[in-house]
Amino acid sequence: MSYVDAGYASALGALFVYGIGLVLRRRRWERAARAAEATDGAAATAPGGPR
Amino acid sequence: MTPVPSAPRPRWLSAIGLAGLLTMAVTVWLGLWITPPDVVQGNLARLLYIHPPIATVALYWAGGVAAAGSLLYLWPRTRSFFWDRLAASAVEVGAVFSALTLVTGSLWGRPVWGVWWTWDARLTSTALLLLLELGYMALRRVPADAAIRARRCAVAALLVAIDVPIVHFSVDWWQTLHQGGTILDPGFHLHVHGSMLWTLLLGFIAFTLIFVWLLGVRYRVEVLQDQVGDQELEVSLAERWREGDELTGVGGSGPRSSDGGAP
Repeated sequence: MSYVDAGYASALGALFVYGIGLVLRRRRWERAARAAEATDGAAATAPGGPR
Repeated sequence: MTPVPSAPRPRWLSAIGLAGLLTMAVTVWLGLWITPPDVVQGNLARLLYIHPPIATVALYWAGGVAAAGSLLYLWPRTRSFFWDRLAASAVEVGAVFSALTLVTGSLWGRPVWGVWWTWDARLTSTALLLLLELGYMALRRVPADAAIRARRCAVAALLVAIDVPIVHFSVDWWQTLHQGGTILDPGFHLHVHGSMLWTLLLGFIAFTLIFVWLLGVRYRVEVLQDQVGDQELEVSLAERWREGDELTGVGGSGPRSSDGGAP
C-alpha cells in the first residue's frame, strides 16, 4: 500500500466509522428518550408521583 | 414507535449528508485517477487533495463554531443551551478532524520530509489543539449542574480557540519545516491550477459538507443525552418522593417541582 492509499483509506475510513458510530449513538439515545418518556409518564400518573 | 418530539430529525441534514457523500466520491475519483501527478512530488501530491481540506475543517470550521457557540453562551443576552451543545458537538467532531490532520500530514511528511513527525511549530500546535479538544471532552464528562457545566466548558472552548490563530500563523511566526501558504500566498496568488485546483476546491466542499452533517448528528445526540438525563432525574425524584410518602404515611402533600422539591 502506498502512502497515498494509506492517507485516503485512513481519512475516509475514520470518518465513515465515526459517522456510523454517531448514527448508532443517536438511535440508542432516541430509544432511551422514548423509554424515559414512557417511564416518566407512568411515574407521573402513579399514586404518590410528582404533582 | 413514536419520534422524540423535542428534537425532530431535520431533512436538510440528510440532504447535506448525501451531498457530502457524492462530492466526496467525486473528489476521490478526481484525486486518485483523473488529476495528473505533480512535477515535483509525483503521486504524493494526491494527498494534498484531502489534507488541507481536513485541516481547514479542524481548524477554522470546528474551531470557529466552538468559539462562537461558547461566546454566545457566555454572553448573557444570547445565553442558551443551544450554543453550549453546538460548541460541544463542534469540539468532538473537530477532534476527529484534528487527528486526521495529523495522520494524513504524517503520511505525506514521511516520504517528502523523511520523517513521520518533527517538533515543528505547525505540527506541535496542531497536536496541542487535539490535546486541548480531548481535555474539553473530558471536562464535559465531569458531573455537574447543566448551567455550571456549560459555563465551565464555554471557558474551556475559548482556551482551545486561543490555539487556532497560533496554528494558523505558526508558519509565519517561526522557521518551520511545514511550508507556508501553499494554495494562496500572502498576496492571494494561486499556486494550484487546472484540474488540480478544481479537485482541491471540491475536496474543501466535500469535507465541509461532511463536517456539517456530522455536527448535526452529534448535536442531536447531545440534545437527546440532556433530555434523557433530565427525564431520568425526574423519575429518580418521583421514586424518592414516593418512598418518602410511604415512610411518613403522607398520601397527598402539596405541589412539587423537579427543581424546587428535591430532597
